[in-house]
Amino acid sequence: MSASTLPPVIELRGLTKQYGIGEAEHRALDEVDLTIEKGEFVTIMGPSGCGKTTLLNILGLLDRSNDGEYLLDGNSVESLSHRRHARIRSEQIGIVFQSFNLINRLNVIENVALPLTYKGMFRTKRLKMASEILNSFHLSEREYYMPWQLSGGQMQRVAIARALVNHPSIILADEPTGNLDSKSSHIIMEELSDLHKRGNTIIMVTHNPNLTTYASRVIHMLDGKIASDTKVAIEQVNEIKNIPLGLHTNKKPISRSAKKRQKKAAKK
Amino acid sequence: MIHLYIFEHLQNAYLSLRATRLRTLLTTLGVAIGVASITTILALSGGVTKVVLSQVNALGGNMTVVRPGVVSRNLDNFANPTIEQTYTTSTITEQDIATIQSIPHVASVAPLMILSNTLHSNVDNKHVPSTVVATTPDLAVTSELPIQSGQFLDPTLNRDSAVIGSQLSINLFGTAQSIGQTFTLRNQTFTVIGVLKYINNPINYNAVDFDNAAIISLESGKAFHQGIAQIQQIDIRADSTAALPGVMKSISNALTKNHQGEKDFTVLSGKDISQPTSRFFLAITSVMTVIAAIALFVGGIGIMNIMLVGVAERTREIGLRKSVGASSGNIAWQFLTEALILSLVGGVIGYLGGYFIAFAVSTMLPFNPIITWQIAAISLSMAVGVGVIFGLYPAIRAARKDPIESLRQYH
Repeated sequence: MSASTLPPVIELRGLTKQYGIGEAEHRALDEVDLTIEKGEFVTIMGPSGCGKTTLLNILGLLDRSNDGEYLLDGNSVESLSHRRHARIRSEQIGIVFQSFNLINRLNVIENVALPLTYKGMFRTKRLKMASEILNSFHLSEREYYMPWQLSGGQMQRVAIARALVNHPSIILADEPTGNLDSKSSHIIMEELSDLHKRGNTIIMVTHNPNLTTYASRVIHMLDGKIASDTKVAIEQVNEIKNIPLGLHTNKKPISRSAKKRQKKAAKK
Repeated sequence: MIHLYIFEHLQNAYLSLRATRLRTLLTTLGVAIGVASITTILALSGGVTKVVLSQVNALGGNMTVVRPGVVSRNLDNFANPTIEQTYTTSTITEQDIATIQSIPHVASVAPLMILSNTLHSNVDNKHVPSTVVATTPDLAVTSELPIQSGQFLDPTLNRDSAVIGSQLSINLFGTAQSIGQTFTLRNQTFTVIGVLKYINNPINYNAVDFDNAAIISLESGKAFHQGIAQIQQIDIRADSTAALPGVMKSISNALTKNHQGEKDFTVLSGKDISQPTSRFFLAITSVMTVIAAIALFVGGIGIMNIMLVGVAERTREIGLRKSVGASSGNIAWQFLTEALILSLVGGVIGYLGGYFIAFAVSTMLPFNPIITWQIAAISLSMAVGVGVIFGLYPAIRAARKDPIESLRQYH
């Protein structure tokens, strides 16, 4: 893969995060070393309190580590100012939350366009880009709906569209299906899986072991350390990348449908 | 890029304020009341000052006025506003008049001894409350009082002659043609020898409404006061504008000498004459300004209160905005813009409302409120100032929120 020649998207060296001092000291992350290459779909699993959300927050620059190094696209970002962090969040990171976090006052398209605001983009251009991304999520006819007029699954798709609108280097998802029923969960995972196939780097935290079937790499964490790191059969990312999203709307999980897709690709 | 954010913040503020209409309206009203009171006060007091100032200007730049007592601009005036010089013994004496008359370049000198009394008309036995001014014939020159019929006071005339204002003439005798008529004042009979033109100038530096006043000689006035002149003011005209500063200085020196070195009088000219025309008015204005400032302060507290509620309500939104790339500065500006819109809209409403009140009140007053850009600027900058002062803390609080904590709210 061509990705190997570029610096890894994320590189963590001895990353440590501790809360409290002295007796009350608690290490949420204990010298974590982790390298994530471009195009990987990583799921992070583990029991509550193992530090996976803390890790995600640090990766998303919402939190700072106490020790260690964090390289994003080959640049050290840990010691930068709050303002620079905000800039990086705006340009390189997309976050999907468990509870969607759409702003109720704004309609769908404005919610999706929100991250572009902080890139200093004009409103017309923002809305145009948001509209394009919503179109690829088949949400065009919902553009002017208000968030409360949507189902949970639709809201999360809007939230994913929002995370993607600024073309981030990494997409961080914290239990994206945690608030959804199994059918909506499935749709959301299909969307994430599609994004992955189109070359996006996704890091997802989840409790649900079933969802790991979508991932290319599964990391188990325990007590602030990485307990296991398994790479699943690597997908043919580059080949599938250019297929329009629409063709994949009703597909089964990746591992089972790999052959089918290869056939389709061969026909073309 | 900044202008882009401004537009964005304006739109955001509009949406969030629209979402809480009633709250917004009430908060705006708080500011509007404060600004309205300030605008009203400025417009009306400006109106008074303008009236007096234009009179002083019309008289030319050679006018000066001596008043008893020292005009102090400290808080004592406000704490004890009703005590005017009228009721206390004047520090200016008849000797002072003579002294001033002997100063070179003094063209005319007119002392004013003001009495408030009820006049009894010889026609219909009417009782009319009126202001009585005891003065010398020079007053016609110093204050440029126009005569409609008859003549002004004259040293050669009988002591019991009087010149009356045209409105007083109508009130007393039912006609403006009242020469030869008589009225009694404290059982003393006066004959009308002249009627002034209707000048409609109730507010002036003499603090006398000449349309409604009777002018008698200083000797007659003294007779009511055991032969002592109780002088509230001396109007002096220098023979030229250039001579005025020298005249004022000479008056000051001469009177200080007369008063055994005690400077218990004030020599005023130009704009200063118009300001303390009425201490009572000054005190009212000051008290109202303080009340208006308190109203504005309360309005500001309203803004801060509502902004803090807004910040608390939108904690998650703040967390989300930060997580999608908003810097603390962006968040602070977003909330500050909202506070500024509240205060500015309140300011505009208050400004317009203030003029509405001012014009409504002025229908009952003898002068009109003034409209100047300064008043608009003061009102609106007060409003914006309140917005900034009381919006800053909520905005900073919003900006300082930790995104993780914020997003965790209401999970």
